[in-house]
Amino acid sequence: MSRPATAFAAALLGLATLPAAPALAQLRGDMTLMAYTGIFQENYTAVVVEPFKAANPGVNVTYFAPNTSAVMLGTLRSQRTAPQADVVIMDITTAAIACAEGLVEKLTPAEVPVMEELVPLARQAGGECGPAVTFDHFVIVYDTTKVSPAPTSLRALWNEQLRGRIAISAPPNIQGLVLTAIVEKMEGGDYRRGVDKAIERLRGLAPLVQTFDPRPDGYSLILNDQVTYATGWNARSQLYRDQSNGRIGVMLPEEGTAFQINTINVVKGGPNRAAALAFVNHALSQPAQKAFTERMFYGPTNARAEIAPEALARTAAAPEYRDRVIDLDWADVVKLRDTWNNRWRREVISAGGR
Amino acid sequence: MKGALPFLLLAPALLALVAVFVVPIATIGRIALYVSEGSGAMREAVALDTFRTLFADSFTWELTRNSAHLALLCASLATLIAYPIALFLFRTESRFRPLLAILAVAPLLVSSVVRVVGWLVVLGDQGLINAALLSLGLVDRAVPLINNWTGVVIGLTESVMPYVILSLLAGFGRLDRTVEEAAATLGAPPWRVFLRVTLPLSLPAIALGWLIGFVLSFSAFVSPKLLGGGRVFVLATEIYDLAMQAVDWPAAAAMALYALSLTLLVLAAYTVLTRRVAA
Repeated sequence: MSRPATAFAAALLGLATLPAAPALAQLRGDMTLMAYTGIFQENYTAVVVEPFKAANPGVNVTYFAPNTSAVMLGTLRSQRTAPQADVVIMDITTAAIACAEGLVEKLTPAEVPVMEELVPLARQAGGECGPAVTFDHFVIVYDTTKVSPAPTSLRALWNEQLRGRIAISAPPNIQGLVLTAIVEKMEGGDYRRGVDKAIERLRGLAPLVQTFDPRPDGYSLILNDQVTYATGWNARSQLYRDQSNGRIGVMLPEEGTAFQINTINVVKGGPNRAAALAFVNHALSQPAQKAFTERMFYGPTNARAEIAPEALARTAAAPEYRDRVIDLDWADVVKLRDTWNNRWRREVISAGGR
Repeated sequence: MKGALPFLLLAPALLALVAVFVVPIATIGRIALYVSEGSGAMREAVALDTFRTLFADSFTWELTRNSAHLALLCASLATLIAYPIALFLFRTESRFRPLLAILAVAPLLVSSVVRVVGWLVVLGDQGLINAALLSLGLVDRAVPLINNWTGVVIGLTESVMPYVILSLLAGFGRLDRTVEEAAATLGAPPWRVFLRVTLPLSLPAIALGWLIGFVLSFSAFVSPKLLGGGRVFVLATEIYDLAMQAVDWPAAAAMALYALSLTLLVLAAYTVLTRRVAA
């Protein structure tokens, strides 16, 4: 290339990179992501955090992993005046509290352009604050070495042969809340109008239940042959299914399921806002959404993410399952939680003495 | 200056007490006066709404009864089992005495969670006890020993027992061997010596051990949570659920203060009672 041509090319390159230069300059320093521990951390780091770090070598990402969303909220509350985290991924009900208390920022597509690519539910879920980053859904997990053929209905649980072989996470755990709404639907009702039918039906199930508080979780109890059926979340169930070589079976009940939604938020007053916004854009982008869904079977929230069909089929986003998803309004459910919780204790669990 | 010396010497301990006890309790007290919105958000306020809701809920009284019942049962069982062990340790002149004493309190060296997991292995439906019962043909199906009150009582009794043993050993100071020997010399058989001399003399130690067992059982969380299977509701598990599941910190804080008040009440009653007996 001649010298003038080289100079022209260099000038063009300079012009082309000019707008991006300030943004790149800002993406430096430490950034702390607060999200779930365990297999979520392991897989999220591998397919979402690491690619972000590779694309932004100036940013040092620290993954801080409390056990639950409640602990994350506690951390945000205690650090209100001097936040140490920049981005937080937490359950929708807890994120709503953080949003209402002003612990996380309100986000708009102007700052997070990828929000325009999200499915409507993802935008609605976060309200004015951060949108949904993963969709998970309620499932029943079972021991495939003991259950054949594969069950398709929630009604399979009401079986005297299963006495002492069922683990259910009762309210206030949100699995119990979702189960209540699904059983109400199964009995022809609608949770918005009351859950009398569900409570009556669940009273009949209670004597068969070994534990209403599975520890460490239902998946482990199945693998240790303590129970045959348990309530669970799809993403972890699918992963455990693979890890157990199919010992754990996963049923999306024909009576329905409901989403458990995690939202991603920028912590208000966090130390590295520019990196936080960049990370949120990255986490919601098509490649990150595709990679995490295919890795861990959380439903994608980016409508344009092209998920491999075999992975999509293992999420509630699969076309054949979409109709089964109950429209559960978590803001409503949070208000009903105390009432449902009390009814479970007084009417359901009390009927299941061991 | 001389008069101020004791206070100066006490200052570090008092400061530590303020930092690790008074400040956290005061913070909990402050949070209990906040208000929970319908959305679950917490609003700073100085209001008694949370306490009103707490005391108007009949479930609070059920939790109180459950906690008291559990503590009463576990403290009594632990004292009953610990008493002969402690008495033996107090009396034995074996050269293995220190080793035996360490063995008696060895459970304290293991995390309470690990101990409970051990109980899950032993008491579970597929655990050692049920396996033995089933293989001997004594039962047709597994006897439910965990995920219910039975499991919690077994696990909690075991977990408070070392504390009761230590309290009994500390309280056996008034147990004078020569008095027992005098009773025996006067013709009392061993059982009568025990009932008429040893037991009355060790009553203060028994009361102290029982109190320690009661207070620890009343505030116990790990055993009811991990061995109760979601069927055992006590004040400690409710505080956890309110804080960690419902994320209702004001309610959790109010419940925690209520539980603390009850414990202090029991301690005060013990103090008054022992003073009266001593008088």
